[in-house]
Amino acid sequence: MREVVRVENLSFSYAGGVKVLDSVSFSIYEGEFLGIIGPNGAGKTTLIKLMLGLLEGFEGKIYLFGKELKKFKEWSRVGYVPQRVAIDRFHPVSVGELLTSVVGHERRLKDLVDFLHMEEMLSRRFTELSGGQQQLVLLGMALSSEPQLLILDEPTAGLDIHSQEHIMELLRELSQNTGKSVVMVSHNLGALFSNADRILAIDRTLRYEGSVQEAESILAHLFGLHRE
Amino acid sequence: MELLQYDFVQRGLLAGVLIALSSSLVGVFLILRRLAFLGAGLSHFAFGGVALAVLLGVEPFLFSGILTLGVANLIELLRRKRRIGGDVSLAIVFSGGVALAVVLLSLSEGFREDVFSYLFGNVLIVSPYELYLSTGVFLITCAFLLLNFKSLLLMSFNEEMAKVRGIKVMVLNHLFVSLASLVIIVSIKAVGIILASSFAVIPAAAGIAVAKSLRGSLILSALISVLSTVSGILISLHFDLAPGGSIVMVMIAAFTLVVVFKRLI
Repeated sequence: MREVVRVENLSFSYAGGVKVLDSVSFSIYEGEFLGIIGPNGAGKTTLIKLMLGLLEGFEGKIYLFGKELKKFKEWSRVGYVPQRVAIDRFHPVSVGELLTSVVGHERRLKDLVDFLHMEEMLSRRFTELSGGQQQLVLLGMALSSEPQLLILDEPTAGLDIHSQEHIMELLRELSQNTGKSVVMVSHNLGALFSNADRILAIDRTLRYEGSVQEAESILAHLFGLHRE
Repeated sequence: MELLQYDFVQRGLLAGVLIALSSSLVGVFLILRRLAFLGAGLSHFAFGGVALAVLLGVEPFLFSGILTLGVANLIELLRRKRRIGGDVSLAIVFSGGVALAVVLLSLSEGFREDVFSYLFGNVLIVSPYELYLSTGVFLITCAFLLLNFKSLLLMSFNEEMAKVRGIKVMVLNHLFVSLASLVIIVSIKAVGIILASSFAVIPAAAGIAVAKSLRGSLILSALISVLSTVSGILISLHFDLAPGGSIVMVMIAAFTLVVVFKRLI
């Protein structure tokens, strides 16, 4: 399988602070669904922000599609769904405007709207949507450029069980049927263990990297975590 | 309506409409990016700049405009580096500008009237040069927003998503605050330093409160701003009132009407 991301000896500290990540190394492969887990403050969000070039001043190397992060320019190959979008509740932007701001072609917009069943949401303000609908829109925006790598930061956090299942079903479909690599940070171990191909457990440093089955059995020893 | 035949009235109305359009369009993005106070901070800083310019005997608009542009970019830099909160830096700039003006005013009595004329402004005494400035800023505003609408929309929604899409967020942020400071500087002529920020904030707030989309907010904001400005100027002419205050009072009335109407339907 082709390597999509390679992280080598990655260390990072916020200005004047302690090390958030220490010598983390791993790879992500084409078509793989990778789950990243770890306790609060373990550095999960920091790790994906570093991979996305959103934070600077790290030690080590990050490669995206074979190119070093500093030289990487093909950002349309990467889709990102952030942990939460902290916009003002009065923000007037409509779902249609959000999607057209990121989608290049009319045809692609229609495909995306059909795939995510967003027809009825298009004329509504983003802030009027439920949490699950908002996550769908964010996913739609991330998928707009037909990325080969999709990175999601806790996409099911705060959603009801039906919305969680819907999002996970879509991600599984994307990973299995379209060959996209999906990287998902989550505390939702049940969802990750049911859908991911591989698990990465971090707590400032890499604590575990391997199969879901093995992860389930040893996580209790690592973090005292249990599947819900 | 005889007054409309006078050159100064026509010039004032045209300048007012151009300033109203520029301010309301930029104002929508200022509010969405939680920078509503930027206008007040920069216009009050410009007060110090104007006082310094008058004391030095240089052109006040150009001099304070350049100073304000620099300070706006400094505020953006501090916000980006997270060295200091945006609201804190604005509060410092706001009070710093006024303090500088007060100190300079206390040094000399001769130029006080010149400086005070900038406090309240008067759109009916704009010179042809100031009309050209307003037209230039309006054209720059339109070009900037048309060229960068999608990027600004995404940045107001989530800067990280915008960065991952390859948008030059840092550059656009600096260009945007530069544009905002230009708009604030030209609106000082219409309503003065004290009320300049109201041009950017009140119509934009009404548009955002009512419209169902960002485009709708921009259109409604521009419409309210232009109608309020023209009505305010006509009212001021008819009743011999200060135009700046009249325009802002009409804007507040329009905002109240729009918000109440929205609640009723």
